[in-house]
Amino acid sequence: MQCFIGGAYAGKRAAVRARFDNPVWLTAYAGDDLETWPQRAIPGTTLVVEGWERWLATALDETEDDDRLRRRFADTLAALARAEREHGLLVVLIVLEMGRGIVPLDAGERRLRDLAGWLAQDAASMAERVWYVWNGLVQGMR
Amino acid sequence: MIAFVSGGARSGKSRYAESLARSWQAEHGGGLYYLATAKAAGAAGDEEMAGRIARHRRERGEAWTTLEEPVAIDTAIGQVADRSTVLLDCLTLWASQVLYASSLNEHAGVAMLRVVMHEARARALDLVVVSNDVNEGLPVRDAEVQRYVAFLQRLHREVVAEAEVVVQVVAGLPAYWKGERPCVP
Repeated sequence: MQCFIGGAYAGKRAAVRARFDNPVWLTAYAGDDLETWPQRAIPGTTLVVEGWERWLATALDETEDDDRLRRRFADTLAALARAEREHGLLVVLIVLEMGRGIVPLDAGERRLRDLAGWLAQDAASMAERVWYVWNGLVQGMR
Repeated sequence: MIAFVSGGARSGKSRYAESLARSWQAEHGGGLYYLATAKAAGAAGDEEMAGRIARHRRERGEAWTTLEEPVAIDTAIGQVADRSTVLLDCLTLWASQVLYASSLNEHAGVAMLRVVMHEARARALDLVVVSNDVNEGLPVRDAEVQRYVAFLQRLHREVVAEAEVVVQVVAGLPAYWKGERPCVP
């Protein structure tokens, strides 16, 4: 599993497109549900999964238990990593860095920011390669 | 040579960029220009901004020729003698003035920035471009703010792709994304 982390409009998608031929995308920005990822996990292809902060924002409304939410997303990441190993698939995660601004006044936004940070940590800990994208440049972190 | 220098507020990015510009000018000769996108005259009603500009000027010293141009940086760079060194400070303010204080759109803004870089190449200018990373916080829902961040990031990627030296300044310390560590006094 590979993970590309960077701020908004940093060039994450371009970095992924430059490295992987004809990947299959699962993207929250096009309204895809995270739970449907197994349908796009086709052996021999690359699956790019992006829009985690959108899925997190939706999940925030379903429970107030942040630890449970973190575990739920970490379980999905682990399942993606397992599918990759077992089905000859390459999984690429695109994760939005959003933890570097001021602390939001709104409690919901603080939760989202916290969960996005934990998700980034969990994704990075499970990925074999981690890349930081900054202004169109890509730096290997692992 | 073209350099891109970015960092957070008060990270020391301007000071670093000035050192780099001075070292390039010392190496290559020619004039030393400070192309300010903030206009001191326009800041008459804003004491904080006027003070900020005065402080920057004091700190730079007298070796610099200051040009002030909020939008038409392509025209401004035309006033610079060949083989000079130009410090453009900064893209964040210029980007907001292009979008909100001119009749230009994103496309025209990108084109103007390309003209400036092309001029630098064609006339052997050394160009140091300063900006600020504002895209790593919580995404803002406001569509105009999103438009601004997208435009500024587009400008960053344009300069970064063209530049030989790309530096992220953290707490006054430069981290080099591109290029060898230049000799900075």
